[in-house]
Amino acid sequence: MKLSRISFVFRRVVKSLRELVWTHVLTSGTMAMTLFIFGGFLLVQQNLHGLLRGWGRQIQVFAYVDNGISPADVESLAEQVRAYPEVESVRFVSKAEAWESFKKGLGSQSGVLEGLSPDILPASLEIGLQKAHRQRASVALVAQRLRGVKGISEVEYPDEWLDKLSLLVLGVQWAKWILGGFLFLATLLIVGSTVKLAILARKEEIEIMQLVGAPAGLIKVPFVIEGMVQGIAGASLALLLLWLLYLFVRHQLPASLGILPPGDQLQFLDASAISLLVFLGWLLGAGGSLFSLRRFLKTW
Amino acid sequence: MIKLFRVSKVYPPNNPALTDIHLHVEKGEFIFINGPSGAGKSTLLRLLFREEEASEGQIIVNGRNITRLNGPGVARLRQALGLVFQEYRLLPNMSALENVALAAEVVGMSRKESRRRAFHLLRELGLKDKHDARPPTLSGGEQQRVAIARALVNDPILVLADEPTGNLDAEMAEETMRLFLKIHEKGTTIMIATHDTGLLRRFKHRVVVLQRGRLTADSKSAGAGTVP
Repeated sequence: MKLSRISFVFRRVVKSLRELVWTHVLTSGTMAMTLFIFGGFLLVQQNLHGLLRGWGRQIQVFAYVDNGISPADVESLAEQVRAYPEVESVRFVSKAEAWESFKKGLGSQSGVLEGLSPDILPASLEIGLQKAHRQRASVALVAQRLRGVKGISEVEYPDEWLDKLSLLVLGVQWAKWILGGFLFLATLLIVGSTVKLAILARKEEIEIMQLVGAPAGLIKVPFVIEGMVQGIAGASLALLLLWLLYLFVRHQLPASLGILPPGDQLQFLDASAISLLVFLGWLLGAGGSLFSLRRFLKTW
Repeated sequence: MIKLFRVSKVYPPNNPALTDIHLHVEKGEFIFINGPSGAGKSTLLRLLFREEEASEGQIIVNGRNITRLNGPGVARLRQALGLVFQEYRLLPNMSALENVALAAEVVGMSRKESRRRAFHLLRELGLKDKHDARPPTLSGGEQQRVAIARALVNDPILVLADEPTGNLDAEMAEETMRLFLKIHEKGTTIMIATHDTGLLRRFKHRVVVLQRGRLTADSKSAGAGTVP
């Protein structure tokens, strides 16, 4: 492209952004609102996944060891279990540790334990599973295998809880595609219509440019660049609003509700989700302009 | 300069606007296309700047067949023409100077050169003090002069004007016609569509008459300068 044409396109974009500032603000604002809703969905979905991952980390199999087993045997037992392909971690909980933990769990009501012997609770192995095996079938398989190991008297795992969690993970996956797809389509339609209206307002300009012999590319490029600027501005505004919403919710959500696993907190959108929103804004702005121009640009 | 061979234009479903038009216009000629409203004058002009495509026949402009052209071809054709309309068709958010320079810039002329040419033309057309004015603040006659300056900025081979005096009072119409004559004197071919027979009497040039889409008279065959 000749330098004079590049300069022409640049001047047209600057002039339009300056003179039609409110049209651009309105279009970017609509894009921001729509992308905010879509981004809000991504934020909820991402945190829900994080929450489920956190809950998944809490899935453990408890293997109670026989009374009177020697520390060397416990260590060898732990090594044996650690070698299972599904197992991520094995921690030995002695009788004394189990007692202390139980007492702590009872809190102010720990007085009820008075008179009881501290070695009443059995020692155990707390077995954490690999991420891919935090599901009912794998957990049951590991439990089954542990039951046949010499030195282990009993095996327990939260089977009912596992069923609910599996169902919840499945629900979130479906919601991601159905609700996400629906919101994505709504975003496309709303932004597309907004851009179309903005271009309709400049129909005369397009017609006159064509009458004086402007090549189609020279008419389209400034509109597409303006669309990109609007899209990126809209996406940036949406991200800013989402950040404020995130800060508000994080501040307002009391830890005492116990929704989040210990040590976890709400997360803002990750880099890929932020990139997706900005890319979506860019694409909708540029693509929407190009698509709308097809309607007003006479072709031969 | 212009050759039309058996040109017809039919709008769907079956409304003939032009039927079997034969017309030759020489380089440097000044020609009026006359006829009542709906006679096909504007359609003829629209075929020449390829806003419309002929349903039948062939159209040659400056030695080039323009009957079938693609997008870039239409753009190139229009860059070589000067177009003037009854309703001026200026961009209201641009100054007179910018409106004129725009037509030069879209053909690839530098900004500096486009503005220099636009400024020169506006001064020549008596709009020396109005180059920064936006069209809505100008009178009808002034707006038409800006439109004429825009039509001339690329040194066109042919100027096509569709009812250029239609929105002007008698005095302004006269002045605008004198501008066209001045342009014609420099060798530019001019074709003006008008229903105003008074103009034809005052400015003696070739007249072609259209009625219901058919070419019914041509003063060239009856002797130049006479109104058929």
